[in-house]
Amino acid sequence: MGKLTAERLAQIIEDGHSHRREGDGTAPRFAEGQQVRTINHHPGGHTRLPRYAMGRTGTVIRNQGVFAFADTKARGEGDCPQYCYAVRFEGSELWGNAAHRRDAVILDLWDSYLEMP
Amino acid sequence: MSGHKHNEPESDIALRVKAMEQLLTEKGIVETNAIDLVADYFENKVGPRNGARVVARAWSDADYRARLLADASPAIAELGYSGLQGEDMVVLENTADVHNVIVCTLCSCYPWPVLGLPPTWYKSPPYRARIVREPRAVLAEFGLDVSDNVEVRVWDSSAEIRYMVLPMAPDAAAGKSEEELVDLVSRDGMIGVAAH
Repeated sequence: MGKLTAERLAQIIEDGHSHRREGDGTAPRFAEGQQVRTINHHPGGHTRLPRYAMGRTGTVIRNQGVFAFADTKARGEGDCPQYCYAVRFEGSELWGNAAHRRDAVILDLWDSYLEMP
Repeated sequence: MSGHKHNEPESDIALRVKAMEQLLTEKGIVETNAIDLVADYFENKVGPRNGARVVARAWSDADYRARLLADASPAIAELGYSGLQGEDMVVLENTADVHNVIVCTLCSCYPWPVLGLPPTWYKSPPYRARIVREPRAVLAEFGLDVSDNVEVRVWDSSAEIRYMVLPMAPDAAAGKSEEELVDLVSRDGMIGVAAH
């Protein structure tokens, strides 16, 4: 990688640097409205699955499309592009009785984090 | 500057930033004017005024509002705002029944082209830890009381989508021009910790 010049940086700021990728035609594993469970993997390294949402059940509310996978990129293992889904977790699923009945948290989660409940 | 004091040492963070800048430029990794360009971009080119223009347009133009909610990035780009950390935007609509608020629990992800850099509290561990667990208590501390009948949705921007809240137009918006509406929109309203 060459020196970061003002010219190159201006181009990056203007054009952006999307992590969205072309899909390879693989159908999404999950549909909107479907229940999913997050894996409980506690990796030693980089993950975008926060610990408070590990091993929890939620509902897919939106397929965000295919994105490069941050975890493998952080480990130098490449893009591993995959679907990313907005998953809704009810407050009670995350925090038990302490949660207000009308609170929810929505997280964008890559396919690798999800399994059938 | 008359307020500049020469007899006090610079803060630790200022010294650390200077040392890093010097290392990066001396080793030929970053050009000095590249650093100036970034500082100028965040000081002068982006900030919540951009997002306020997007909200004001959505409040005054129903077709624009529909486009913004359906596919935010191109709709925001119509007003000239795009680029780094705004590539894949989703705009969240507050209604009488649903209040949205954004956070990045893992770091400080934030939609730069429309809101600029995040405020310090947005990056602070207490906000990031508490807003997902007890959003109503945190919102109350910001002065926003959310009725028990209203659903609170907390959007944790931990992946690549960047979120912005479209607040409900206040009563004071009635009869105002789009330009006047811009002044009614606050940064906190677009994060979701204020009504608008």
